[in-house]
Amino acid sequence: MIETFITSFKLKNTYRINSIIYSIKQLPIIKKILPNSLYKNKGLKIFANIISILYEILSIFIGKIIYIVAMIFMALSWYKTNQSDMFIHLFTFLTLCGGVLNTYMLNPTKDKYYAIVLMNINAREYGLSNYYYQLLKLIIGFLPFTILFGMITEVPLWIQIVLPFFVVAIKLIVMNYSIYYFKKTNKASNENLPTKFVWGFVGVCLLLAYGLPAINIVLNKNIFLVIFIISIIIGIYSLIKIHNFKDYKKMYKQILTENNVYMQEKNTGTQAIKNVSLKQIELNENYTSNKSGFAYFHDLFVKRHSKILTKAVKKQSIVILFIFIALIIGILINNGLKDRINKILMVYLPYFVFIMYCINRSSSVTQAMFMNCDYSMLTYRIYRTPKVILGIFKERLKTLIVINLLPATLIGLGLALLLYLSGGTNNSLNYAILIISIIAMSVFFSVHYLVMYYLLQPYNVSTEMKSSTYTVVQGITYFVCWYMIQIQLPTFSFGIATIVFCILYSLISLFVAYKYAPKTFKLRA
Amino acid sequence: MKLVVKNLKKSFEKKEVLKDINFEFEKGKIYGLLGRNGAGKTTFFNCLNEDIEIDAGEFYIEDNNNKRKMEAEDIGYVLSTPNVPEFLTAREFLKFFIDINKNRIKNEKTIDEYFGFMKIEQEDRDKLLKDYSHGMKNKMQMLVNIIASPNVLLLDEPLTSFDVVVAEEMKQMLREIKKDHIIIFSTHIMELALDLCDEIVILNKGMLEEIDKNNLDNQHLKNKIIEALKEE
Repeated sequence: MIETFITSFKLKNTYRINSIIYSIKQLPIIKKILPNSLYKNKGLKIFANIISILYEILSIFIGKIIYIVAMIFMALSWYKTNQSDMFIHLFTFLTLCGGVLNTYMLNPTKDKYYAIVLMNINAREYGLSNYYYQLLKLIIGFLPFTILFGMITEVPLWIQIVLPFFVVAIKLIVMNYSIYYFKKTNKASNENLPTKFVWGFVGVCLLLAYGLPAINIVLNKNIFLVIFIISIIIGIYSLIKIHNFKDYKKMYKQILTENNVYMQEKNTGTQAIKNVSLKQIELNENYTSNKSGFAYFHDLFVKRHSKILTKAVKKQSIVILFIFIALIIGILINNGLKDRINKILMVYLPYFVFIMYCINRSSSVTQAMFMNCDYSMLTYRIYRTPKVILGIFKERLKTLIVINLLPATLIGLGLALLLYLSGGTNNSLNYAILIISIIAMSVFFSVHYLVMYYLLQPYNVSTEMKSSTYTVVQGITYFVCWYMIQIQLPTFSFGIATIVFCILYSLISLFVAYKYAPKTFKLRA
Repeated sequence: MKLVVKNLKKSFEKKEVLKDINFEFEKGKIYGLLGRNGAGKTTFFNCLNEDIEIDAGEFYIEDNNNKRKMEAEDIGYVLSTPNVPEFLTAREFLKFFIDINKNRIKNEKTIDEYFGFMKIEQEDRDKLLKDYSHGMKNKMQMLVNIIASPNVLLLDEPLTSFDVVVAEEMKQMLREIKKDHIIIFSTHIMELALDLCDEIVILNKGMLEEIDKNNLDNQHLKNKIIEALKEE
């Protein structure tokens, strides 16, 4: 078993190193200098190896400290109950959640897929040895922090020390139950697709964790001791069962399907995006079009994707409407709120850049455009002629702008109305500025995403991302919008600046797109 | 009419995939392009289709001794993995293609006539393309590529995904349309190349070389091709 573990560890390390080198090779400029033979380069391999080992070591601790700080330590200040009991209380219930949500063994990861399915490594030995390794990492990773935060909250030392073992015991019990369930029903549970029962259980545990203390009910040390002893006994029994279970291969066959494994990488797995995008297509007898040419083509695209286009925007608009109604009612009955909202409206317009960024549909729409349409159409030479590219570009631009305009107009009008109801402003131009600047932002995002997509189309024929520039531009867009949250500027000047910027940006970028898109809009080699 | 390729070169990093391609493809013939795995057949097609930029050389259409650039309208390219817009039905896809090629299509037929020509069954014509099988998608891709009747038709292993009956139909179809086109057909299957193609062209070591069929029986021709492909 140890040999299998070492083999699998080496395997994992090898592709981790390769992906480090691969990501280095994806960086703009650098990729031009570096040759493909990079993967053979010794010095670089050693460097990547060090990063890989550092990652392995850090991964033991980082997650645990974030978990304890974010989920437990920070929550302590909300309650007035005894801090040490509270710590134990939250830790216990959250451990139950984590136990069912994260088993390690039943997680369809790529390393399991490579090892068990592609390389035919003994499933039992692989599964068990890596499972034990994970549990060991868990104890090592938790122990320093249960001691540290236990000391801060004055939890008795013995509890500080046993907490990590409690976590392991719970994981073992859940895993044993999954095996028992598999033996009985022949159904292996995929931990990334939790059943309703699991969600229900998690919900109840979370409620008990954070809800009970609110009504002053908290587990104390004695109750924890009882729970711990029971868990350890069942945990040891489970460990024996898990160790003696023979049918790991059969179980992993069910879990490690390509779909499950590649669902994992939502960010990079374009195949997964493609699968998701395909599901967005709806065929409905009524979805026809009496247009022709590009307009016909685009019209059908819009209608077949109403889930992510029109319907999504309608839902958004309804939510926005409700929020404004709630705010208006709030203003009418609460004078304090009235003043605050009035103040917010006069200086927090930059914040709305981020909001408009978040609600703009263009990013996901261009993704669907690529996955469901351009990815295949771009292989046709005729589709890449300037006439067709620009013809469809125009149709798409119109649609994106119009679709995003509905929620934008609602927000603009809503803000102006709020301003009026919350006491108004001494410069009535502010009303117009609020409305127009919000609409301008919406148009800006629509234009921005579409133009970027046409100028930087990053995918190749196998839907692999081939240009990191696109990711970088998206990152910058996000960062700038997020940064705006922290800025307070008078609505009047910021609004005017926004409007001017959006108009200029849109005009320039459309000009650039018209000039260069016929050259840049193609599948990457 | 001829497609002339002169001194075409393409490398990826240090690897010279197409070293020096010189060839004239004539109208009315089907050229069987044979090459070993990784020889660069798809790269060659991608260059002609301007999917990738070439490093050196040129290719153009020569018509009655007039040299002109090969335009998008001149070329149809059927990929080995079929790509069709999955949100459209077969009928809608065809309509769109006819729409945008309106002024190029000589004696336009009805959509159903085209389906009939490609032997696509009545019940499949209004299905979403995402529900089409691999072979059916390939048929559609072939169909839209020949509707506009491009002068040059590049087929990258197009028959491998068809069942025997359809493959036979497609071969027959290609023979019928070849008089108006330059058809270049890449394949790994030698029997297919010998059976369907008028000329056999080998891509080896980055160069194109025509195999002279004259006075050779099938077995000798096969041996000759294999010898040519084996050359290192």
